[in-house]
Amino acid sequence: MLLVAISGFAGLAHAQTGTLTGTVTDESTGETLVGATVMILDLERGAPTDIDGMYRIDNVPVGTYEVRFSYVGYRTVTETVNIEAGENVFDLAMSMDAAGLDEIVVAGYAPTNRRELTGSITSVSSSEIESVSLQNAESILQGRAAGVNVISTSGNPGGAFKVAVRGNGSINAATEPLYIVDGVQMSFDQQSGLTSTSPLNAINPSDIESIEVLKDASAASIYGSQAAAGVVIITTKGGTSGQTQVTARAETGVRTLARNVDYLNRDEYLDYSAEGWMHRAGVPVTDEAAFEAFRADREAFYLGTFGEDPNNPGQLSDYNWQDFVYEDGVTQKYSLNISGGDDNTTFYLSGGYEDTDGTALNSNFSRVNLRTNVDHQVSDRFRASVRSNVSRSTQFGVCQDGNFVNCPTSQVMFENPFTFPFLADGSYNPNLAVATSTQYNPAVIRDEVEREIAVTQIIASTNLTYNAYDWLSFTGTFNVDYRNTEDTRYDSPIAAPTQGGYVSFANRNVRNFSTNLVGNFNQQFDEVHNVSGLVGIEYRQNYAESQLTRGEGIVPFFSVLSATATPAQAAGVNSEWRLGSYFTNLKYNYDERYYISFTGRYDGHSRFGDDQRWAFFPSVSGAWRISQEDFFDVDYISDLKLRAGFGLTGNSAIGNFASRSLYSASGTYQGGTAVVPAQLQNPLLTWEEAQEINVGLDYELLEGRVSGSIDYYVKDNNQLLFDRPLPTESGFTEYTDNVGKVRNSGLEFEINTVNVSTRDFVWSTRFNVAFMDNEIKELPDGQDIDADDTFESLKEGQTIGQIQVPRYAGVNPADGRPMWLDADGEITYTPTQSQDAVNYKDGFANTVGGFGNTFRYKGLSVDAFFNFSFGQWAFPSTDYYFTRTPDFLGSLSSETRDRWREPGDMTYYPRAVVAGSDFAETNNYRTQLGSQAVYNASYIRLKNLTVSYDLPQRFVDQFGLSNVSVFASGVNLLTWTAWPWYDPEVAFDTTDIFTNVTTASYPTERQFNAGIEVRF
Amino acid sequence: MMKTMNKLSFVIVLAAGLLFAGCNDLLEDVDPSTSISPEEALGTPDGVELLRNALYSEMRASASFTTQNLLGPSALADESYTRVGASRYDALNFATGTSGTAHIGSYGAAYNVIQIANQLINDIDPDAVDSGLREQVMGEAYAVRAYAYHMLVKVYGYEPGNYDIGPESNWNLGVPIFTESVFSVEDADERPRSTVDEVYNRISDDLDEAETRLAGVSNPTIANEMFVEGLRARVELFQGNWGDAATAAQNAIDLSPALTEDEDDIVEMFNENEAAHPEAMFLLEIDPNTEPIAGSNVNNGPAAYTSAQWVAQLPTQYVLDLFDADDYRNGWFKPCGESGCDNANDLEVASTKYNGDKGNLADDLPFMRVSEMYLILAEASVKDANAVTPAAVDALQELKDARNAGPIPAAALVDVDSFEDEVMDERVRELHMEGHRFWDLKRTGNHIPDPITGDIKIRFDSYRILAPIGNNNLNANSELEENPNY
Repeated sequence: MLLVAISGFAGLAHAQTGTLTGTVTDESTGETLVGATVMILDLERGAPTDIDGMYRIDNVPVGTYEVRFSYVGYRTVTETVNIEAGENVFDLAMSMDAAGLDEIVVAGYAPTNRRELTGSITSVSSSEIESVSLQNAESILQGRAAGVNVISTSGNPGGAFKVAVRGNGSINAATEPLYIVDGVQMSFDQQSGLTSTSPLNAINPSDIESIEVLKDASAASIYGSQAAAGVVIITTKGGTSGQTQVTARAETGVRTLARNVDYLNRDEYLDYSAEGWMHRAGVPVTDEAAFEAFRADREAFYLGTFGEDPNNPGQLSDYNWQDFVYEDGVTQKYSLNISGGDDNTTFYLSGGYEDTDGTALNSNFSRVNLRTNVDHQVSDRFRASVRSNVSRSTQFGVCQDGNFVNCPTSQVMFENPFTFPFLADGSYNPNLAVATSTQYNPAVIRDEVEREIAVTQIIASTNLTYNAYDWLSFTGTFNVDYRNTEDTRYDSPIAAPTQGGYVSFANRNVRNFSTNLVGNFNQQFDEVHNVSGLVGIEYRQNYAESQLTRGEGIVPFFSVLSATATPAQAAGVNSEWRLGSYFTNLKYNYDERYYISFTGRYDGHSRFGDDQRWAFFPSVSGAWRISQEDFFDVDYISDLKLRAGFGLTGNSAIGNFASRSLYSASGTYQGGTAVVPAQLQNPLLTWEEAQEINVGLDYELLEGRVSGSIDYYVKDNNQLLFDRPLPTESGFTEYTDNVGKVRNSGLEFEINTVNVSTRDFVWSTRFNVAFMDNEIKELPDGQDIDADDTFESLKEGQTIGQIQVPRYAGVNPADGRPMWLDADGEITYTPTQSQDAVNYKDGFANTVGGFGNTFRYKGLSVDAFFNFSFGQWAFPSTDYYFTRTPDFLGSLSSETRDRWREPGDMTYYPRAVVAGSDFAETNNYRTQLGSQAVYNASYIRLKNLTVSYDLPQRFVDQFGLSNVSVFASGVNLLTWTAWPWYDPEVAFDTTDIFTNVTTASYPTERQFNAGIEVRF
Repeated sequence: MMKTMNKLSFVIVLAAGLLFAGCNDLLEDVDPSTSISPEEALGTPDGVELLRNALYSEMRASASFTTQNLLGPSALADESYTRVGASRYDALNFATGTSGTAHIGSYGAAYNVIQIANQLINDIDPDAVDSGLREQVMGEAYAVRAYAYHMLVKVYGYEPGNYDIGPESNWNLGVPIFTESVFSVEDADERPRSTVDEVYNRISDDLDEAETRLAGVSNPTIANEMFVEGLRARVELFQGNWGDAATAAQNAIDLSPALTEDEDDIVEMFNENEAAHPEAMFLLEIDPNTEPIAGSNVNNGPAAYTSAQWVAQLPTQYVLDLFDADDYRNGWFKPCGESGCDNANDLEVASTKYNGDKGNLADDLPFMRVSEMYLILAEASVKDANAVTPAAVDALQELKDARNAGPIPAAALVDVDSFEDEVMDERVRELHMEGHRFWDLKRTGNHIPDPITGDIKIRFDSYRILAPIGNNNLNANSELEENPNY
C-alpha cells in the first residue's frame, strides 16, 4: 500500500501522463494472479502483477493503447485502454487457456507464437505436468504428444525410454530424436554399461517449463542432418520480475510392481508334475489312486532335489520368488526454487534431491541437481542469459534384458516354489533350479554384487543478445554438455568364485560442445506485410571416451582395484565427430492471414565421405488462417488455420568413420600390434534422408474453450543404410550403401477443451491419438532380408517388426498334443519356420495416445491422465521358454492350469509334460514358436492420478505464506491389457525398431506419492 | 556510440563467418582411436611394420590357416578319427561317399591374407619407407601370398594332370587371382576363376620375387629363405615337376637346420618348452596369453583338438600300425586320458603334436619342417628318373636313420611303385596331422580310405575330392563357378 501511495504521488507530479493500474484475477476462481504480465504494446512497457495480483505502470502519456495481459496457462487478452491523466484502473479476469494458439512455442533457435506456426509441433507445458511425479522428460512425453510413441525400456528407476516420433524411419541407423535442453543439443554417447539410463535424467522434471516436439520436416529441418527422427526441445523455467517467490516441495512415496504374474504355487506345481509323469507312463490322470502315488513320488523327488523348507522341516517349500526379487521401494523428493527479479534481471534458482528405491533387489536412482537460470538486461541493447544445470545422479542397476543366470528379472521365472534363497542356518542356498551354483542364487546377486553408476553432468548454455535495431538482433550462444559416468561393479568372491571376486571400473566421458551465432529479424511493412526470420551458423563437436579396468582376486575388506590380486583388464577408446552448419528460416505473412516459411540447413559433417561432406536440408511450408478472412463468419470458430509443409531432414547416425578407409588394430604378432584393413573407403556414403509432407489444421472454437489440431503426414525415409556383399576375393565381406526406403504415414488428432468453467468449478479435458502405418518400401535389389526370421525379417511391403510364425491350432482332444497349421492350413505336429510360418502380427503400435481430465473445485483439484497403445504384439521370450513347461523346473505360468487331462478335453494348453519334448512325433511345445507364443501388448493405463488441495488462503496467510498445497499422486495405478505377463511396454532398448520381443525386461513400476508444496 | 556498436556487431558476425570458412579443416581433423589411415599404414615405417604383423597375426587368428590347415586333411582322410563324446571335425570323419558338404574351406581367410600381402607388395610408399625394410617386407608378403594361393588351389582345384579325374572332363579351374590392392568398392571387382596352371604360375613368380628379397633371411618365425625353397619344392611336387621339386627340396635342405637325431629331442619336438621345434623351416610364433589361435585357444586351437580340452581327433589305428617298436616317433603318442578313445585306436592314445604351452592350450605352430624336404626329395627323384635312384634311397634312409626307424624294407626297393608306397607310408609316420594326408592322396589320384572300415571313404573320381566354393562366395561374385555337382 505504501508503494501505491508513493507512486500515486509521483503520478500527480506529471499531469500530462497517467498511471495504469489494476488487478488481474482468475475468471473462474476469482483468485488474484501473481506474475501475470501486463504490457502496453505501443510503448513496449510493461509490468508484472505483484503478490496481490496488482500491476502498475507509471508515466504513460495520455492516449489510447493496446494493452496485452498474458500469463502462463491462461489465454492472452489484448484490450484497448484509454489512459487519462492520473490513475486509470483497469481490472481483468483471465480465463484458463486450453493450450491455445497464443501459446509461445520454442521452435528452434527462436521462440515463436503458435499462431505463426506452419509446421507440426506438439507442446507439453508445465501446467500439464506440474503435479505429476515422473523421473525425466521422456516419461513426461508418454501419451501426451500425439504421434510420439514412448515405451519404457526398463522399469529400473532412471531407466531409458524408446521415443519414436512418427514411427521407425531407419533400420540400420536407428536413432533417438535430437534432444535439445535450453539450446544444448544433448549427446547420448558413452552411457553406462551396467544399467539402463538416460542423459536426460540430469534434468529435474519440476524445472521444466515446456517440452516441444518438432514432428514434421518443415518444423525440424532447421536441425538438418540430426532431425530425421524428430526433435525434442526442452525448456526450463525462467524467473519473472516481481517479488521473489520461494517454492518448497517435499514428496514421499512407495514403488511396487505395476503387476505381478500369477505362477503356480507348490501344490499346483506338484499336481502338474504328477500329471506329466502319468502321461509319460501312460496312466490316465483321472486314476486318483495312481495320481496320489505319482504326486507323492514327485514330492519326494523334489524334496530330495531341493531339500526341505528351512522354516517347515520335512515340508517342501512354497516360496514366492517374486516377493523376494521385487520388494517395495521408497521414494523421497525435495525441491526448493527461488525465482523473481526486477526490470533488468530475472532469475530462477532451484535445487532438487531425489532418492528412489526400485522394486528389483537393490535398484535405486538418486539425483542432486542445482539449476541457475538468469536473464539480465546489460544495457539498452545487450541482453545476457545463462541456463545451467549441474547434477549428479546415481543408479544401482540390476542385470536385465536377457535370459542370464544372474539376472533377477529372469531368475523370478527360472526358479520354482520349491527353492528358496537361504538355508536354515542363514547361509546361501547352493542348490536352486537354474541357479545350480551358489554364485547365481538371487540372494547372492542381491547381497554380494554391486552395480553402481554415478553420472556427473553439466548442461549449460550462455548467450548474449545484441539488439542492433528494433528489427534486428544477434545472439551468440555457447553450449556445453559434459557428462562423466563412472560404472563400478563389485562381485565378491562368493559371487565370482572363479576370479576370486573382482572389481571393475569404467570411466566414461562425453564432451559435447557447440556454439552458434544467430541473427534474428522482424519487420512489418505497410501494417500487413510481416517479414521475419533468422540466419545462423553453428559448430558442434562431440567427443566421447571410455576407460575400462578390472582387477580380479578380492582381498577381504577391500573393494578397490589396488587391492585386487590380478589386473585383468585395461582398455580405452575414444571417438569424435564434428558438425558445422549454416541455417536460415525466412518467414513472411500477409496480415496474419497468409503465412509462408522457408527453412534450410547446410550441414558439413565429419562423418560424411569426402565427396559428400556437405548436405542441404530445405523445407517450405505455408499456412492460411481461414478465420481471418472476411468471408469467414462462423461465430463459434475463433481461429482456424490450415497448414501444409514439405521438406527434408537427415539422419547422420552412420558411424563416426563409416566413410573412411580404416586399418584397425587387431591382434599382435611376436608382441607387435597388427593393423588390418577393416573398412573400405566409401566416399559416397551419406546420411539417411527423410522426406516428409505434412498437412494440418489448427482450430480454436468457442473463444478458446476448445482447441487442437489435426495432422496428416507421409514421411519417406530414403537412402537407408544397408550392407551389400563384396566379392570374398577382395578381402572384405561387405560395404555400406544408401539404398533402402521406409514409409511412415499417419493421422494425428489433438483436442483440448474447457468443459465447465465457473467461479468455483473448472473441468478441462485433453485428448490425443495418432494412427500410424509403417511400411518397408525398398530393400537392396528388392531382396528380402532374413526372410524366414521369426521376428526380424525385412520384406518390401511389410511392417518393420513383422512376426512370422506357424499358426497354433490348439490341442488334439484325443491325446493332448499341441497342433499347428502348415502352410496349406492342414493340421501338423511338426511345423517348420521356413515352410509353415505366416505373417501373423507385428510389433508396431499403430494407435497410440492419451487423454486426461482435470477437475478443480475451489482449492481441490483432481487430474487423471491415461495413455494407451494398441496394435503392438510381442513375444515374451523368457516367460515363454521358461514358464510354460517345467523343462528347467522354473516357475510355471497360470496358462498351464487349463491343461488337457483326458481324451475329449478341449483346451488351449496341451497336456502336462515332464519336458516340452515329451510328445512323440511332435515339435517341442516349449521351443516351437507359433501364434501361441505371441501376445497382444495393447494397453490402456491410468498413467497419473493426482489429487491436490490448496489450503484456504486465510489459513495460509496466518503463517505468512502465499500458498500451501498438499497432494497425493499415483503413477501406473491401473492397466487394462490382455498381456498376461509383467509389462506390455515392449522395447528392448532405445533403438529397438522391431519391438516385438521382450526378454526378462525390468517391469514398469507403480508409484504412490504424497507431498506438500509451500510457496512464500 | 550506436554506430560503434553496430559496427562492432557486424565485425563479430564477419569474424565468425570467416572462422567458419575454415570449417572443412575443422571437420576433417577427427580421427578414430583404434584405426589408422592408408597413408599411415603404407606411408610410414611404423605403419608398414603394423601391416606386416597382420600377415602373421591374421594367419594365427584364422582356423583355416591353423587348426583346419593342420588337422583337417587328416580328419577328412584316414589319419585321425573322433573320440566318442567329442565332435570336433567329426563331420570330416563322417564325410563318406557323397554324404554332406563338409570339406576343408579356406576361401575367405586365404584372400584376406592375400589382400594384405597385395598392399605390402604394391603400395608401400618408396619415398617414405627405407628400401631395406620395404624389400624385406615385400619378400615376406610374396612368400605368404604364394603360400595362401597354394592353400587355395589345392583345396578348390585338381593338380595339373588330374583335370580329367573327376565327373567333368578337363576341369582345370583354379581360383580367381587378385594381385592388385583393393582400396575402394570399385577395386573389388567380380572376377572368374583362373586356371590351375595360371595360379601355379602366379605362385612360381611370387616365389621368385620372394627368393631374391629374402636371401640370407633364416629366422623361422617369419617368411624366410628356407620356407621359400621348401614351398617351391612342395608346389613343384604338386604340379608333377619332379626334377624341379627335387632340386628345390635339396636347396631347402641345404638352407635348413639338420634333422634331429636325439630321441628326447624328437619326442619333445612339438613341445615349445623342451626341444622347441628344432626342424621348423617356418612356424607361427604364438603367445598363448595374448594371441589366441582362431579366436580361442581353449576352443579352437589345434592343441584343444588333439591333446587337451576336447581331445577330439585321435590318431587312427592305421597310423599307429605303421610304426616299428624302436621308432623314436612312437613318443609322439601319449595316453588319451578320456573316455571313448578306443573309437579311434586300440591303444587309446592321443597325439602330442601341438601340445599346449603353460596351460593355455597353445604352442608355436610349425607350418613346414625339414623332414618333409627329405620325403619330397625321395619321391621326386624316383618319379623324375622313373627308377629307384640312390639319391632317393639316401634321402629316405637319412630320415629313417634320424628317427631310428631302421633300414628301408627290401620289398620297397624292388620297383618304383613299391618305393613310392614306402615314401607315402613314411609321410604318414613323419607328417601325420600336419596338414598333408588328404592332399597327398588327392594329388596322387588315390581313393581316400576309411580308417575304421578299411573301405573306400571317398573315391578318387568323386566330385567330393574338391571342396565346394560355397554359396556365400558365389552370391558375392557372379563370375564364380562352383565345382561340379555342388
